[in-house]
Amino acid sequence: MSAVLARSDFIRTPVLATARPDGFKEWYHFVVHRPDSRILINFSLNSEVSTDGRPRLTPRVIVIAHDDQRWTGGIERFEEAELDVSADLGVLTVGGNRMTVRPDGYRVVIDLPGHDIRGELDLTSMSRPFAVNNQPVGDGRVSWLFVPRLRADGWLRIGGQEIRFEGNVAYHDHNWGRFRWGGDFSWTWGAILPSGPDDPWSLVFQQMTDRRRLRCLYQALWVWRHDEPAAIFPPAAVQTRSHGLLGRAADCTLPPPMRLVLGGEASDVPERIEIAATRAGDAVHAEFKPQSYARLAQPSEVCLDRSVVLCESNGSARVTGSINGEDIDFVGDGVFELLHG
Amino acid sequence: MPASYRHMLEALGPLVVEVDVDGELFSLRGGRRLEVTDGPAGVSGARIASSRAAILDLLDAKLGLDEAVQAGAVSVCGSLDDILRAHDTLLAYVHAAVRAPSHPELLAALRTGPR
Repeated sequence: MSAVLARSDFIRTPVLATARPDGFKEWYHFVVHRPDSRILINFSLNSEVSTDGRPRLTPRVIVIAHDDQRWTGGIERFEEAELDVSADLGVLTVGGNRMTVRPDGYRVVIDLPGHDIRGELDLTSMSRPFAVNNQPVGDGRVSWLFVPRLRADGWLRIGGQEIRFEGNVAYHDHNWGRFRWGGDFSWTWGAILPSGPDDPWSLVFQQMTDRRRLRCLYQALWVWRHDEPAAIFPPAAVQTRSHGLLGRAADCTLPPPMRLVLGGEASDVPERIEIAATRAGDAVHAEFKPQSYARLAQPSEVCLDRSVVLCESNGSARVTGSINGEDIDFVGDGVFELLHG
Repeated sequence: MPASYRHMLEALGPLVVEVDVDGELFSLRGGRRLEVTDGPAGVSGARIASSRAAILDLLDAKLGLDEAVQAGAVSVCGSLDDILRAHDTLLAYVHAAVRAPSHPELLAALRTGPR
């Protein structure tokens, strides 16, 4: 385990974005679960065209937190001059913020004084990483690596409160590739972790569709037991259904000015998402019920007057089934990202 | 962002918009390029009045544009067609602004000074 992460998870931008910057994107995404809160931290690099026509990297840091009531937080955009990647491709620095890939996990330092958000977290891997390469996304392709279960220790100050992390479960994914926001794709990406610290299961779900969500292009369900993958359900083995609408406005829209162009509060975050997977004697049934969500909006790179919205939703989850003859039955928490182009 | 700028000019069309922010008047008119002129517009199709504080509240998403109009924090006068065109121009401007690398600095400048 100690060498796996460092070999697999390094920052791609200095090599891939330099060679061919057009449309290149990379982001590190962390979600930490506490009994009474969820924290989402995201470091992203986006290759954009500057006014002189030259490509430039635009780094952003997003930190949002959900307590029992609602999502709050901030997103900050930095200049390329405030970005640094270490020579060994293991340390990403954006202003006063830093993400370090260590042999056994990650260290994240957050310093967003303009949003009164600060923190330091150590995230130790409790499961093997899993990588998927070159999946079609609109006209482009994206690769990703995820670590479904980590242990988080540290602290975060946000919304005037200090949150401490002591062995809390967390999830991480790292994505990189070339595509354009607003292209012909949408996705649902979710991670479910049990509420009980001793429960060994972790689930990650992914579904890619066209932008109108009429065609499912790919979907899969991954299940871990402790630090080992227990089952992978490929597209043909997975059935997904969305039920109803949550019928609640977003807790927040980030960055705030994007609310002006999003045209209202209506959303299509479902009331319930049902995932059923069966393969070779294994079966899993997962149900996720969103409770609230934050909208992370950015301009479409395809249309001048459109925006792309990622709904980061948190909620409760129930998972039942059987894998390798062992029963699964737990309740937990889910954080699902819904990109509805 | 040249393409966004042209898109905003297309949205504005022949409309002349008079804007009043805390009593400071200026007007916008389109054509081959956007012209911003100090003082009243004389003849305008739409007149918008607001305050720096209300504009910052909108940008900070403390309230939506519809809420601001209903609360009187933003007032809009004109024919229905002109108001709709002014609204479309505003949206085109915001779409352009969020794509422009210069805009964070402009927003920071707007924030300085009393609300």
